Amino acid sequence: MTKLYSNKWVISTLVLPGVLTFIFAILAPVCLSVYYGFTDFSGIGEMNFIGFENYKELVKDSGFWMSLKNSLLLAAGFIIIQHPIAIIVAATIDKMQGKAEGFFRCVYFIPNVISVAIIAYLWKFIYNPNFGLFNKLLQNLGFEGNINWLGSGNAIWSVLIVLIWHGFGWGMLIYYTGIKNIDPVLYEAAMIDGANTRQSFMKITLPLMKPVIQMNITMAIIAALKQMETVYLLTAGGPGNETQFLANYLYKQAFKSYKYGYGNAISVIFVIICLVATVVLNKIFADRDAQGGKA
Amino acid sequence: MKRKVLSVLFALTMVVSMVACGSSNATVTKDAEATETKTTQTENATETEASGEAVTIRVFSNLADRTTGQGFVEQTLFDNYMKENPNVTIQVETLDDEAYKTKFKAYASGSDMPDLINAWGQPSFLNEIIDAGLLAELNQDDYADYGFISGSLDGFSKDGKLYGLARNTDVMGFYYNKALFEENGWEVPTTYTELLALSSKISDAGLIPCSMDGSDKWPLSIFINDLMQKIDPASKAGIQDSIANGDFSAPVYAQASDLFVQAVDAGLFQSGFETTDYGTAKNLFINKQAAMFYMGSWEMSMASDEVVPAEVRDNIGVFMMPTVDGGKGTVNDIAAWNGGGYAVTSNSAVKEEAIKLLNYMFLPENWSKLCWENGICMSAQDYSAYLTGSETPVQLEFTEVVSGATSVSGVTLNDMGNSEFKTISEDLSQELAIHAITVEEFITQLGEASK
Repeated sequence: MTKLYSNKWVISTLVLPGVLTFIFAILAPVCLSVYYGFTDFSGIGEMNFIGFENYKELVKDSGFWMSLKNSLLLAAGFIIIQHPIAIIVAATIDKMQGKAEGFFRCVYFIPNVISVAIIAYLWKFIYNPNFGLFNKLLQNLGFEGNINWLGSGNAIWSVLIVLIWHGFGWGMLIYYTGIKNIDPVLYEAAMIDGANTRQSFMKITLPLMKPVIQMNITMAIIAALKQMETVYLLTAGGPGNETQFLANYLYKQAFKSYKYGYGNAISVIFVIICLVATVVLNKIFADRDAQGGKA
Repeated sequence: MKRKVLSVLFALTMVVSMVACGSSNATVTKDAEATETKTTQTENATETEASGEAVTIRVFSNLADRTTGQGFVEQTLFDNYMKENPNVTIQVETLDDEAYKTKFKAYASGSDMPDLINAWGQPSFLNEIIDAGLLAELNQDDYADYGFISGSLDGFSKDGKLYGLARNTDVMGFYYNKALFEENGWEVPTTYTELLALSSKISDAGLIPCSMDGSDKWPLSIFINDLMQKIDPASKAGIQDSIANGDFSAPVYAQASDLFVQAVDAGLFQSGFETTDYGTAKNLFINKQAAMFYMGSWEMSMASDEVVPAEVRDNIGVFMMPTVDGGKGTVNDIAAWNGGGYAVTSNSAVKEEAIKLLNYMFLPENWSKLCWENGICMSAQDYSAYLTGSETPVQLEFTEVVSGATSVSGVTLNDMGNSEFKTISEDLSQELAIHAITVEEFITQLGEASK
C-alpha cells in the first residue's frame, strides 16, 4: 500500500483532476480576465490590445470612485454597526437558554433564507414614497409630506440599512457558534470570582472570540466589495450613481455599455483591493495577537 | 509561503472569475429567471406525416409573458407554425428586456447563438452585432407584399442590406384616465404650459399627475426627445451628426432638457419617480393613484387586459406630448419609431428554416392581424384591412395619431449612438431629473459621451 502511494504515476493520477480543474476553471479565467483588461474588447467581435488605457480611464472615472467609496462605506457600516450589534445579540441569545434561544436564533436568521429578489422588492415597497410602509407609518404619526427614501441624498443610507439588515443573520450566527464553543467552566469560574455579565463578556467572551471576529470581519469586507444583486434589484445603482457599488458598476460597464475590456480592468483593480484589504486586516489582527502575546 | 501563494490565487479567482466566465459560451448558465418553453407537437401528427426532415428552431425572445400581450401572439404563431409543419419543433427561451440583453451578449460572445432572436432596430443594439457578422442577411424582395410601412425596416438595415424585421410601430404618449378627468373637470392639455398647470390641479386633488418609469431611464430620454419634436421636428436630422461630432450645442437640446426639468420641478411625476420601475409606474396608473402614465403604444393592451380594473380599463385615453411655446412642432409631430423585431443568426445550422419561420410570422394575416384583433399593439405593417369595428378607444386614438402624424422622431436620441452612449445618455437624463447635474452639464457631458 505504501509502495502504491509512493508511485509517482499513482500520485499524478490522483492529483491531476484537481490540478486540471484549478487550471481550466479557475486559473485560466483569471489570466484571461487580466488579459482582457488590456484590450478594448466589447464582448462581441474583434479586440485590440490597448495597454494601460483602460486603467488610465479608470483613474478619471467618477463612477468608479463613487462605487469604491460606497463599497468602503458599506464595509464600514458592516464593521461599525452590523458586527458589534451581532456580537451583543449573539451573546444575549446564548444566555437566553430554552425555547426563546431557538426562537430568536431563527428569527434573526430569517432574512438570510429569503431570496435576494424578494428582499429587494420587499424593501422597494417599504421605501416607496407613494404607498410604502415607512411613509404610511410616518403619516399616521402626524408627519406631513412624503420622504423619498430611495431619492437623491437618502438612497445610499436606505440601501445600507437593507444590506446591513440582510447580512445581520449570518454574522450573528457565526458569533453565536463561536460563543457556544467557549468552555462554560470559564464563565462559572468568573462568576465565583464575582465577575458581572459585562465583565464576563469583556474579559472572556470577546478575547476568546478574536479568531471568529477576525474571520467575520474579513468576510464582511469582501461581501461589501462584492455587493451586487441586492443593489441591482433595489436601485440599479441609481439615482445617478449614488448607490453604485463596485461589482454592480463592473457589471454595468461590461454588460450594458459593452465595455468588456474595461469591465475586466475594473475586476482586476477590484481583486487587488480585496487582497489589500485582506492583508491589512490580517496584519492588524496579527499585530494585536503579538502585542497580546507580549503582554 | 506556499500557503500564502495558494490563498492569494484562490482569493483572486473568487472575484475575477465573475467577469471572465461571461466570455465563454461554455460557462453560460441558465438564468434562474429564464423560462424555457419547449413546445412539442401534441396533435395527431405522426412521424410518417412529417413533411420533411425533423428540424428544431431555437428562439430567444424578450417576451416573457406567453399568455398575454405580444408574447401570446408570438407563442400562438409558433404553435400554428408547428401544426402546419409537423417536422418543425420550436424551442423558445424567454427573458425580460434587461436580462435578455445581458444573456444575449453571452450568446453573442460564444458560438452557439439561438437561430431566431429578438433584436431592436436601433444602432445602440444592432450595429455592433451586424459589424461582428452575427446576423443573416434577409432578401428584401421577399417582403415586397408584406405591407411594411415605409421606413419601418430602416432600423434593421445597414449599408443597403436588411438584417431583421420590425415588429411594431411604437408611439410615446400620455395615457390618461378619462373618468378621472371628467369627474374633476380637467381638460386634455394642448400646450406644455397647460400640462404643467394641470399637474398642479391633479396634485391638489391628492393624486399623482403622471406616473413615470424613471428607474429604467430610457423613458426619461424619450421624454426629452419627445419635447425636441415639439420644439423643432427638423432637429432629428441633426442628432446623428451631434453624436458623431460630440457637439450638442444646438439650442434644441438645451431647450428640451430645460422643459423636462421644468416638468420635474412642477411635480408632473410621482415622488421618487427616478427609482420607480416599469411595473410600479404602470400599477400607479392602473390603481387610479396616477391620472396619467407616460409610456409607449404597446401599453394599449391595458384597455383589453382583464387584470386591469374595469373602471380604469374602460376609461383609458391617450394624448400626445402637447406643443411648447415658440416651438415649430405641432401635436402631430410625434415621438414614434419601429423598435423591437426579429433577426436570424448567420451561423445558425437551420438558417433557411429560421428565415421561413420569420417570414411566416410576418405574413400580414399573422402578426399584424393577431396583434390588432387582440388590441395588443400596432404592427409595423399596414393593418387597415384588419379593422374589426370593435377596437378599444385607445386603439382608435393611436391609429388616428399615426395616420395624422406630420413627422415622426424615428430612433430616439439615446438609441442613436453605440451601447456606451446609450448607457451614459440615459444615466445623464436621470441625473438631470434629480438635479445632480445642470442643463449645461447635461449638454456638455452628452458631447463627451459621444466622443
